[in-house]
Amino acid sequence: MSQVTVHIPSALRGFADGSSELAVEASSVREALDRIGERHELLLARILTRGGDLRPYVNIFLDERDIRSLDGLDTPTAGARELMVVPSVAGG
Amino acid sequence: MDAPLEQRLEALRGRIPEVAPTAAADDQRQGALVLDVREPVETAQGYPQRAQLLPRGMIELQAASLPADRDAPIRVICATGVRSLLAADTLAAMGYRDVASITGGFDAWRAAGLPVARPASTAPARDRYQRQLMLPEVGAAGQERLAAARVLIVGAGGLGSPAALYLAGAGVGTIGLVDDDRVELSNLHRQPLHTEAGVGTPKVESARSALQARNAGIAVETHDCRLAAGTAAALVAGYDVVLDCSDNFAARYLLNDACVAAGTPLVQAAIHRFEGQLTVIHPAAGGPCYRCLYPEPPPAELAPSCGETGVLGVVPGHLGVLQAAEALKLVLGIGEPLIGRLLWTDLLTTRFRRLEVKTRADCPLCTQPRLEAIQS
Repeated sequence: MSQVTVHIPSALRGFADGSSELAVEASSVREALDRIGERHELLLARILTRGGDLRPYVNIFLDERDIRSLDGLDTPTAGARELMVVPSVAGG
Repeated sequence: MDAPLEQRLEALRGRIPEVAPTAAADDQRQGALVLDVREPVETAQGYPQRAQLLPRGMIELQAASLPADRDAPIRVICATGVRSLLAADTLAAMGYRDVASITGGFDAWRAAGLPVARPASTAPARDRYQRQLMLPEVGAAGQERLAAARVLIVGAGGLGSPAALYLAGAGVGTIGLVDDDRVELSNLHRQPLHTEAGVGTPKVESARSALQARNAGIAVETHDCRLAAGTAAALVAGYDVVLDCSDNFAARYLLNDACVAAGTPLVQAAIHRFEGQLTVIHPAAGGPCYRCLYPEPPPAELAPSCGETGVLGVVPGHLGVLQAAEALKLVLGIGEPLIGRLLWTDLLTTRFRRLEVKTRADCPLCTQPRLEAIQS
């Protein structure tokens, strides 16, 4: 169990009481998201499907690496500093 | 012309195909090489856009600069159509099987109103581009690549404005603009292509004026239309690099699909409030496509437009400049284009992250083998 800072993108901050970052204790990406879900249920629903999979318009990066190329939501967070949630945006 | 030469040309006309300039320009759009075999003193006055310059006397000596593929289509041009016939004969003797001479030469090319480029080595160009010509990564050869380049910008708004201004300034020979909007007063805080005088006019026309005022030596092609499923492929065809400066998901997926199919690199940027994302989509060079990054768009309530959330001009501004930088790198063949990387920026905290992105094994576009050549 280690502390990791989860970066909340501006598109989803409305579901996190405006927070841009949340520090959580977790041993995997899924656990970090669960910790966030305990505080902000609506936020978690925008990141994961009801089945617990990553939504197709959201990517998660652990220290700049796509968790899809690691172990997905089971990727261990030990030693990592930053978990970034990056949703698709289209403004121009 | 003496009798033996006349006889030789007559014989050549019997076996070397001749094509009109307009047909040669069509072939060029389909990928044919236009080879200008005139002398430098002649091409200094202008030459067909995107043509390779190789004086007739240098063809054998600089054969390595010609396509390795002997089936590559080559259309040869000179001043009037005589030297091109002789040069085409030389190329045929070298093994090229799809060679034709352009009738009437460069005079006819220009008379037909086909696009013309001027070399960077002429005096005004030397002065204009002096500071970037000094860079070893650019130089005279790079400046010629820029002059021959065709870049399409989809969206002449917050992202497209700075991108277009910098590409025009750098001397990108042809800039295409796609937008069906008209200039509104509420655009001006973030769209430096447009001015108060242009309010109410089509954005592509306002943009054309601004770009030609900055650099009269480039061509601006305007497409006053909205990107649609039926038109995306035709719009993308004929351009070397495409910039996605649009403001909606439908356009982003359409452009992605059209560019992936054409093998054309797509420099994409998007913003939300103070955050931005930038990447270069070019599966032909090994990176993921937009559908790999985001297989589906978010529901509408999670993806409001700038008109709904608000935007500070500098946010699309800095991303549009970065799009121009990526396009210049792609055209010049320098540096590391942002392929397989997503740059995430937040101007509120001034944080930049270079995120790794990969091809999805289940991507409907990228699982098909891509045979298209990488366009340089």
